[in-house]
Amino acid sequence: MSENVIIKTSKLVHTYPTGVTALKSVDVEIKENEVVSIVGQNGSGKTTLVRHFNGLLKPTEGNIYLHGKDVTSQSVSQLSKEVGYVFQNPNHQIFSTTVRGELEVGPHNFQFSEQEIAKAIKEVSELMKIEEDLEKHPLTLDYTTKKIVTIASVLTFRPRILILDEPTGGLDQAGREILTKIIQMMKERGHTVIMISHDMDYVAENSERIIVMSQGRIIKEGAPQEVFLDEEILKQAQIEPPQIMQLDFALDVRKKRSTISVQDFVKKYKAQFPKQEGE
Amino acid sequence: MNNPIVEFKNFSYIYPKTEKIVLDGINLSIYEGEFVGIIGCNKAGKSTLCQSMVGVLPHLLGGKWDGDVLVDGINLGETKGAGATDVIGIVFQDAESQFTQETVEDEIAFAMCNFGYERSVMRERIISAATDCGLIDMLDRSPFKLSGGQQQRLAVACILALQPRVIILDESTSQLDPIGRDEVFNLVAKLHQQGRTIIMVDHNVEKIAEYVEKLVVMDKGKIILADKAEDAFQKMEFLEQFNIRVPQVTEACLKMKECLEIDKAPIKLENAIQLLQIKLEGTNFE
Ligand SMILES: Nc1ncnc2c1ncn2[C@@H]1O[C@H](COP(=O)(O)OP(=O)(O)OP(=O)(O)O)[C@@H](O)[C@H]1O
Ligand SMILES: Nc1ncnc2c1ncn2[C@@H]1O[C@H](COP(=O)(O)OP(=O)(O)O)[C@@H](O)[C@H]1O
Ligand SMILES: [Mg+2]
Ligand SMILES: [Mg+2]
Repeated sequence: MSENVIIKTSKLVHTYPTGVTALKSVDVEIKENEVVSIVGQNGSGKTTLVRHFNGLLKPTEGNIYLHGKDVTSQSVSQLSKEVGYVFQNPNHQIFSTTVRGELEVGPHNFQFSEQEIAKAIKEVSELMKIEEDLEKHPLTLDYTTKKIVTIASVLTFRPRILILDEPTGGLDQAGREILTKIIQMMKERGHTVIMISHDMDYVAENSERIIVMSQGRIIKEGAPQEVFLDEEILKQAQIEPPQIMQLDFALDVRKKRSTISVQDFVKKYKAQFPKQEGE
Repeated sequence: MNNPIVEFKNFSYIYPKTEKIVLDGINLSIYEGEFVGIIGCNKAGKSTLCQSMVGVLPHLLGGKWDGDVLVDGINLGETKGAGATDVIGIVFQDAESQFTQETVEDEIAFAMCNFGYERSVMRERIISAATDCGLIDMLDRSPFKLSGGQQQRLAVACILALQPRVIILDESTSQLDPIGRDEVFNLVAKLHQQGRTIIMVDHNVEKIAEYVEKLVVMDKGKIILADKAEDAFQKMEFLEQFNIRVPQVTEACLKMKECLEIDKAPIKLENAIQLLQIKLEGTNFE
């Protein structure tokens, strides 16, 4: 397991032209091949932070390093090939007149051969179950399918770092399972996933590390079990643990090893009851 | 019983230039003062159902349709959709697409303009809705230069200021931070107590279970279940076939049904805590 730092920021500050300072000196490290989630209240700076990773935003102050090299020395096209960013709002990302066209943009820009493009589209559309939507106009799609198409359009050019901005918003159970598959696939390929989400159930079960932001700063980093135990931090960041964890906390006051999934919970608590006959 | 405030009679719908039946023989009555949750997997037809309650579909967008939608007794088919928005306010799933104004304040005011309120009343309602939704410091900001969650908060604020008799929120909490989501549920619950009818579409079944009385479950354009929330969520295996989860505490208790010696699982956190505390009395987690 490599501990190589793939992205690093140093004293990153971002002030929008409107005068809002969205990031106030952020130091963060993302390691190669990790699955990390960024959580925190609305407006805390999550989207602003990750948009610096692929060059969509430039720092007002401070630096960003990709593989140890300052990103300002790298071209935007180089950056966007390496760091795939899926927008929070799919309407900001879709420009083609068919879904297929949308999926072709990335690989085309990065000089994939026709064969490679066809292969990538087949692979990704199967994985994301949008084969039947390929010839449709993106505007005729419902909101969630648009969101899935935007994720697919980034996957087709195989970035080594995948940034998903609020991918779970509006996704049903089947959609979340697809998302989990994508995360696993990235992990197996040795790639890195950065996910922003307000869905604490999903975050707890699907991230190795959580970064908590509040008012333009990082206020906590750690494993899900650890982060969700820190009441002070949770309050400050306007987040709450998954419901099953809250139930566990209320019942088991030791609050040592918390359960992050229903499965864990049932296992832990079933053991508290005398064995039933026939078990 | 009084007449329903929203009524579907065998209503079916197909989007323009498509062939798929997106709503398929819908029969549904919603009564004034109810708090209704609509759940179902993506593409089930939830948003289409909501949009047909305000006459956007089929009367603005076109498409083929059959059957009737009545709002407060008005048949929308006869009025070509007119009249619905006097009664119902809706926040669309895609919040940003409904903004037209240059500042947050104007956006909230815009929603009220058509209703001829006095300036002072309008001002008061703007301040109160913006405060409730955490936007009070952003009144002069552009709606298009807000974070995703702030935009969703704004869309909700527009409806709260308007205070229509029926409020529909179509996945309007999907990008809110968890506390913000609680706040929105609490705000509409307060309006519900004042007699408003609330219709919430949301994938967050935990929150739905905490608040709604009646649950409507959709799949492939049909209503497959409509029942009191506490009864509907007992049908975990049935719902699983349609890829719908039940609240985490309900799932856990149903999976421990034998140990707990219960027929019915709680659907709210507080009730689950009470139940388990009693059942676990004396345990010290060795
Ligand atoms: N284009 C913009 N112009 C000016 N200010 C902006 C712009 N986009 C965001 N902001 C502001 O910058 C701050 C951080 O916004 P950002 O979008 O990074 O938040 P976020 O953590 O992603 O929030 P959310 O959870 O709501 O998506 C907020 O105060 C927001 O209003
Ligand atoms: N503007 C549109 N044009 C054509 N088809 C649409 C449009 N919007 C939604 N649909 C289709 O209608 C069906 C129901 O979608 P929707 O009501 O958005 O479902 P839900 O809100 O339950 O996810 C889906 O098959 C979707 O693809
Ligand atoms: Mg954001
Ligand atoms: Mg919808």
